[in-house]
This record gives sequence, C-alpha cells and structure tokens, in this order.
Amino acid sequence: MDRKKIILPILAGIIFGFGFFILYVFNFASYASNEPETCMNCHVMDTQYASWSRSSHQKVANCIDCHLPHDNFAHKLYFKAMDGMRHSAIFLTRTEPEAIMIKKAGEVVVQENCIHCHSDVVAQNANMLQGVDNKKCWDCHRFTPHGRERSLASVPNAEVPYIDSATPTWLKKIIEKK
Amino acid sequence: MFKGKSGSWILFIFTLVIVFFMGLLANSIMERRTEAVIMKKAIVDLGEWETRNEVWGESYPEQHETYLKMEGGEIEDILEENPYVSVLFAGYGFAKDYNKPRGHIHAIEDTRNTLRTGAPTEEKGSPMPATCWTCKSPDVPRMMEELAVDGKDGVAEFYRGDGGKWDNLGSQIINPIGCGDCHDPETMALTITRPALKEGYKALTGKDITEATHQEMRSLVCAQCHVEYYFDKHLDGQKKGAPYLVFPWSEGITADALEQHLNKRGADGTGHKDWIHAVSKTRMYKAQHPGWELWQLGPHGMQGVSCADCHMPYESRGGMKYSSHHVTSPLDYIDKTCQVCHRQPEEELRKAVKDRQASIKKLTVKAEELLVRAHFETKAAMEEGATDAELEDIRTLIRESQWRWDFSVASHGASFHAPLQVSNLLADCIDKAGKARLELSKVLAKHGFLGEVELPDLSTKAKVQKVIGLNAEKLKQEKENFLKTMAPKWDEEAKKRHESWDK
Repeated sequence: MDRKKIILPILAGIIFGFGFFILYVFNFASYASNEPETCMNCHVMDTQYASWSRSSHQKVANCIDCHLPHDNFAHKLYFKAMDGMRHSAIFLTRTEPEAIMIKKAGEVVVQENCIHCHSDVVAQNANMLQGVDNKKCWDCHRFTPHGRERSLASVPNAEVPYIDSATPTWLKKIIEKK
Repeated sequence: MFKGKSGSWILFIFTLVIVFFMGLLANSIMERRTEAVIMKKAIVDLGEWETRNEVWGESYPEQHETYLKMEGGEIEDILEENPYVSVLFAGYGFAKDYNKPRGHIHAIEDTRNTLRTGAPTEEKGSPMPATCWTCKSPDVPRMMEELAVDGKDGVAEFYRGDGGKWDNLGSQIINPIGCGDCHDPETMALTITRPALKEGYKALTGKDITEATHQEMRSLVCAQCHVEYYFDKHLDGQKKGAPYLVFPWSEGITADALEQHLNKRGADGTGHKDWIHAVSKTRMYKAQHPGWELWQLGPHGMQGVSCADCHMPYESRGGMKYSSHHVTSPLDYIDKTCQVCHRQPEEELRKAVKDRQASIKKLTVKAEELLVRAHFETKAAMEEGATDAELEDIRTLIRESQWRWDFSVASHGASFHAPLQVSNLLADCIDKAGKARLELSKVLAKHGFLGEVELPDLSTKAKVQKVIGLNAEKLKQEKENFLKTMAPKWDEEAKKRHESWDK
C-alpha cells in the first residue's frame, strides 16, 4: 500500500486538529459577533467593561459601536482584524499596560462615532464638527462613558462576564464520574 | 478500510478528531495544574520575629518576586558628579562617600560598604553610633525588644549599641529592609515598628499613631525612615546620653519649623550640632531626607495620594491584585502610576516631571556656588584675623542657608513632590548666602583684604577631598580590610542564628 496515502492524511489531521483546537480555545467564533462579551475574552478590559455597563451609553451603544469605524464594511473588518491581532500579541506576551490608553487611530474612530450619533447636538456649532483646536469630545466629557477608574487593578472585583472553561461540561462529567 | 480517496478522508478526519480531543484533555490537565498552584499556596507560620524576607516570601510570592526586582541597582557617586557637595559637607561623613540611594534590598550591603561607617576592627570601633542601623533592617525592632531586659529601655540601649558603636550590632543586623519593617507578621496589616515615628507623630499631631487611617499608613510606613531626623544626646531619663533618634517635628513639618526645633536643642538649649564645618568652622545642621514632610506640602500629598500609590503601585495578574514591592521611581512604570489618574501620553507625563526637576536644578547650582564661596570666604576672613564674634552672624546665615539647600535636595524627589515649596526654600537659601557674603566682604575689608577670595581647584572629587584634608585612599584600604575580615564573621554568626530559628 502507498505509505503516502497514510502519512499525509495523518499529518494533515494533526495540523488541522491542533489548529481547530487552538481556534476553539481562543473562542474564535465569538469574534464574528458584535457582543461586548467578546471583548471580555481576555480579562484585560474588565475596568472598561464594568464602567461602560453602568454608564448611560450601555443602553444605546456597545464596544464596537464606538470603537470600530462604520463608514464602510471593509474598513470596519480591516480595523477589527488589525486591532484584534495587536491585542492577541499583547495578551500572549503578557505586555498589557495596567492603565490602557487609546491609540491615535482609535481616537479618530471614536470621535467620528461620537459625532455620528450626536450630530443633532454638534450640528449647532460648525466648529465642533471640524474639531475645535484638535479637541476631542472627551477632553471635556472626561468620564463619559468609562468613569474615572482607569487601571485594571482599580476594579479587581468588578462584576463582568468571564469566559467559560475550555473543557466542555460533558468531558468534565466523564472525567469526574471516574 | 483506508483504501482509495475516501479512505484518506476518513483517516484525515479520524486523526483530526483524535487530536482535537487530546487537546481538550490536555486543557483539562492544565486547568487542574492551575488549581494546584492556587490551592497549594502555603501560609508559613512566621512567629513574632521572623526577619528573613525570603521566609515571608514563601507565603506571599507576588510581593516577594517584585521585591527582588530591586536587586542590582547601579551605584552612582554624587560626589564624583558634583564635587561641590563634598565641600559643603567638609568635616562630615557625607564628604567621604555619598552615593545615590539604591533599592531597599541593598540596605545592609551599602551601609557596610560606605566609607561613612568606617572600618571597625577588633581594637577600634566605627566612627558612627549604632543608631545608624535603625532604618536598615527588620532585625532592628527585634534587637530593640531583645535589649529591653532588667527594666532597661530597649530602644535607648539599641541606640547605645549595647555598649558599643555601629559595629557592635553588626552580626545582628543582617536582613535588608523588608516585610517585617512595615507588616504585622500575623495579620499582614501595615504597622509602625520604629519608635522614632511613633514619638514624632505624637509630638506633631497629639494623636497616637494607631489612630491613623489605612491610606495614611500607606505613607506613614515610609515615614519611619524617609524623614528628617537627628540624634539627640540630651534627652531625659534612661535616654540621657544615648544618640537617641528624634524626628524634630515639635514645631511643625516645614524647613523653618524643623530648624526652630533644632535651635532649641543641644546641651544648653542653644542649638543642636550635627558637625562643625571643616572650612568655615560653622556649626551645621544636616538635613537628612525630609521626603514625607515635603511630599505632603506638595500637590499630590495635599490630595492624599500616598507614597505607595506611586512608588508601590497596584498590579494585577489574572484576577489577582497586589502591590508591587519593587519600590522605585514611578517613571519606571507610568502605566501603573501616573496614568491611573492622568490620561496624558507617557512622554508628556515624563516631560512634566523632568521639566520641574531641571528648573529646580538651575536654582540648586546657583545655591551651591554661593555656599561654597561663603565657606571659603569665611576661612579667608579667619586667616585675615577675623574673630568668632565678628563671624557669628555670618555663620548663622551660612547654617540657615545650607540647611535650606540641603532640605531641598536631600530627599532626592522633592523637586517633583513639592516644586513650589522647594523653589521657595532655594530662594531663601540664595538670599541668605548672598547676605552672608555681603557681610563677609565687609569683615574682609575691615581687616584690609579688598580682593576676590580665590577658590582652590574644586573640579573633581579627589581634588576637593585633598583640599578639605581627607585621605580617601587610606579610608578605602581600611574599608576593604574590614569587608574581608570582620564582615564575613558577622555573616557566619547570623547564619548560625538563622539555622537555630529553623530548629
């Protein structure tokens, strides 16, 4: 019998099996969603989730409504992918800062989204739409919506959704029965 | 079964499922291992006087791991960097050797190594009293307790060095500043172990220090050492004659208030003396490191931001929150310190600190230049025949001026902690040194000297030390000899003691 026909499928099976497992542990499917819970996969943004979930914005906007561009679908997807890869790299290398600071590109996106929803208010003043002296909305609205707690360590016991164990319940049951 | 195309597919999918399932099992095993790490965290019984930081570290690994990061700080020689400092401290220990402070973990090592503690031998003791150990080790409160026998005041006995000098307690004071200095071994609550702070706090506030709030304690534990202090040999009762450690806070915590306290001390109540200046023969006060005093006068102190908030910031690992015990400059991790409250970018925050430091540095350079000249001009006046009576007011101005310079620089962080107060102090310092020099020119003129008093070559540490009559080479050789002969004996004795604790 041709040995290639045995070795190749086995090798491919190992690679794909392990690949799927990694994706599963990463909770990969969740990244297709728009749910704020997805942003809690890494337990790094607890402070941001906790402050948002008790803010006035909680009822009307979730994470990606403010933090991803909505001008066109391709741009949104590209931005999400780039952010996601950077965050994964930071998470895996344990280099997350204690107090997270928004990046320049993120600032532009959030400012646009503020104006997008609040256009009725800002339209009264053309300067605001242009951005007064490069001021951002949150230079004055400092604690909207994330409050003043900035460090991850500030809210060690925040009530936030935590990701489930990667070991499925049925497997746990089998293991514990023995 | 595995024949043909469909056979390959079956084999592929079969392997894929097996590998995926093995991954799940591996994951389950890893979760169990994490459980073990969390659950097996032993709490070691510390007893009342465990002074070895590594033993505490077994129960508190995060705190101990961060504490160990203080290891290996660089030694920076202040006298080499700024030789004028050696002139200003002429006749005093700090003219011999003065390095920038390193981490707590080096406290014992650096105290043994500095030329200021001298080179004790079996015949000759150290020039410094045992009081100099007070801030260096959790072994200190242990010894204070051990020396409190036969109705003696254990604290005063400690400062007396149990009948000797600094070296007499050398084999007892072994473990560097650590856990037991600030924590209760049973409850881990913050606690004050140094009597000088308890007494100073009472004198300052009228309150018992146990009434302090937790947030106040997060600075007060630091104030056990990072404060202005002096040794008072003129206290009453059992303390009489001992170089008793006192924080001079009876009048308040400003430089003026502390000076008033010192002015009332001494043998006859006419003023304390830290040393007589070798060049100008002025009775001097040494400002030690009034960090706690200046911090609370500045913007962060006024807002109640504690020492620990910036120098021991909270960190998180997984769901765990703990204080970093890597006590260092907050600029080393701005994301855990400044940015917890301030949302400016890192470079902006760093610049805000550096700008304050640079603008105050300009003033200290001016102050040092004036003070160095005043000391040498006083010396010149003495050589021209000026009497002590003629120089009395001038020396008072020099003492007051240098006290304010020293108060501004000695705590190292003051130009950021309280920039406005430090600028004011340096303005007073420059004013007083200017007045002293004006009076000096009159005295010199009266004695027929009209020219400019030439300064000797003060361009390097070595040249300055020669001018002020210090034989640094000899001191260094003696020190090396001490480190080779006596210090290892201390360590040997300590090792035996530690082993006896483990039995």
